Amino acid sequence: MQLHGWEAVLFYVLAFMTLIMAVFVISARIAVHSALFLISALVNVALIFILLRAEFVAGVQILVYVGGVMVLFLFVIMLVQTRAEEEAKVKLYTGQTKAVYVIAMLLAFSFIAAMRPAQSAFLSSDSANSTVTAADRGTTTGAGAGSLSEDTQKVGDALYRQAALPFEIASLLLLVAMVGAILLARGSKQEKLHE
Amino acid sequence: MMIDECGTERQSVLRSSIINSQFINHQFNMLGILTTLMFVAPEWVRRWTKEPRGNAFWAEFVLWPLIQILLVLFIVLTIVAYLVYLERKVSAFIQARLGPMRVGPWGLLQPAADGLKLLLKEDIIPLKADKAVFQIAPIISVVSALVVLAVIPWGAAWATIANINIGLLFVLAVSSVGVLGLVLAGWSSNSKYSLLGALRSSAQMVSYEIGMGLSIIGALMFARTLSMSGIIDAQQADGVWYVFFQPIGFLVYMVSALGETNRAPFDLPEAESELVAGYHTEYSGFRWALFFMAEYTGMIVTSAIAVTLFLGGWQFPGLNLITNKTVFAFVSIGVFAAKILVLIYLYMWFRWTWPRYRYDQLMDLGWKWMIPAGLANIVLTGIWYVLALPKSQGGLWGFMALKGDRLVPTKWGIAYFVATGFAVTIPIIWIVLASINRRSRDFNLHAQRQLQIKLRAERLQRHSEPAGESAS
Repeated sequence: MQLHGWEAVLFYVLAFMTLIMAVFVISARIAVHSALFLISALVNVALIFILLRAEFVAGVQILVYVGGVMVLFLFVIMLVQTRAEEEAKVKLYTGQTKAVYVIAMLLAFSFIAAMRPAQSAFLSSDSANSTVTAADRGTTTGAGAGSLSEDTQKVGDALYRQAALPFEIASLLLLVAMVGAILLARGSKQEKLHE
Repeated sequence: MMIDECGTERQSVLRSSIINSQFINHQFNMLGILTTLMFVAPEWVRRWTKEPRGNAFWAEFVLWPLIQILLVLFIVLTIVAYLVYLERKVSAFIQARLGPMRVGPWGLLQPAADGLKLLLKEDIIPLKADKAVFQIAPIISVVSALVVLAVIPWGAAWATIANINIGLLFVLAVSSVGVLGLVLAGWSSNSKYSLLGALRSSAQMVSYEIGMGLSIIGALMFARTLSMSGIIDAQQADGVWYVFFQPIGFLVYMVSALGETNRAPFDLPEAESELVAGYHTEYSGFRWALFFMAEYTGMIVTSAIAVTLFLGGWQFPGLNLITNKTVFAFVSIGVFAAKILVLIYLYMWFRWTWPRYRYDQLMDLGWKWMIPAGLANIVLTGIWYVLALPKSQGGLWGFMALKGDRLVPTKWGIAYFVATGFAVTIPIIWIVLASINRRSRDFNLHAQRQLQIKLRAERLQRHSEPAGESAS
């Protein structure tokens, strides 16, 4: 493997924690607990981004998912919540074990198939430097990786110069979705009040 | 045999050299991270831990940051305790009272007495509460408020714990997690008032976060970095505080910060007269104190961001006349603290001056006034900036010049940005907001009362008509 030293330890701890939390998300009986475990999983993913020297992505991950999306999730859960005693009676598993095995196998197979070509990209073409990870590359210039890196600038450059058109299309799509949501949420009573 | 041995020998040498280089590379890597991540320790720490006596690496990158963290925590938490005292005094003076006077001279020992009382109080967890979440919620709140203190540039040189590239984004991201503490506290208490407070706070803080995020972008266009120390350096290089370039940005930021910290007039999540203190109704003793601590630390943090981004951080005209490094650092810390305290005094002044907003007014202010103002400010600032670029880069007037690898406004450029910021941006945004909200009745109490009267008259008429028909 290309990981070594404390980086490997951190990566495995974080990856393991993410998976454990993901399991808890689906096994928790109360919806708010599931949301809490999902938050811990998202924070762990943000920490893995920091390990990859993608601090900007890590910050945005926490800002958008933990601070924004999950708060809205909790908002909705609290509005439609059922009593905890009733939730305790709900069957968590439907007993479709055979289908689960098949789907899990397919998923594992597709993961392996997707990872095998991707792994070669992490290997340096120079065989002598095969132990150099993607994370170490930031140090070849002498600047400490993870410190004042150019990460934010790179993301901005990529988004607004190289990928400006897809970025604009995506933002237009979001705008359309937002207008649609407002139109759906606006009842006839509000329309009448406005007039 | 020989060849084989030779081969293995060479291989082992090669491997050891690789391991060696890897080790050096790794250590260098760590050092590189740490030297740029941590601000360099002051001279006396390095002298004190020179090689014969101790290990400089550990002293500079482990011991010194720990000292910094403990100092910052101790000082900030003491200040938080005295902010409560200050709030009581300010409110008392505004209402022509004396405030706390009995414990110590002028009541100066009141925070200690309050703290002791809160520690000794019984810690009650409601029977039907979700115990685990009930206990975690105040911790989330206070931790997210305190973690942010690590990246705030408290002063020059060694007075900053960490200077990271995404400083401002880190502050916004971590402080946005604080909402979760409020929401979870309200839900887990299993009480109607708490739940209502939690619902209000989640909607309010998510909306005001957007305004906050939009308001800082204009200033970031001038700073061109997210690093907190970098922003202060940029203001020094430009020779002007960004509040003069960005009056609208500063205004939107301050209003959004009030909403974000749940301070009056936006204290709907805890509105004591409607919700019996909202999300922390069921909390008592030390857990309640943690919420309080988080709120006042949040005030310090939002003021610190405002000071860093708009008011020049620890810079002050004439500060560079001090030549002694140690004195300079201490004076810079004092300047930063003084600027923060001015803003916090403003917060307290607002609280005791303005009545609480109604919930729909709060949402309208956030979505119809603050967010459009922030967006318009970004667009206008972008236009002014592009027009002022040097002529070689496609600008019109060339009010900016390259100094090193940074674009710095010239003297005319500063005048141009200040003039456009005040004389053009403010009127344009005023017109935009007025035209967006021309039909809204958000803050027009007279129109709202008239509407209610009209609706009531219609209702009465509808009720009276069939009755009249049957009578005839």
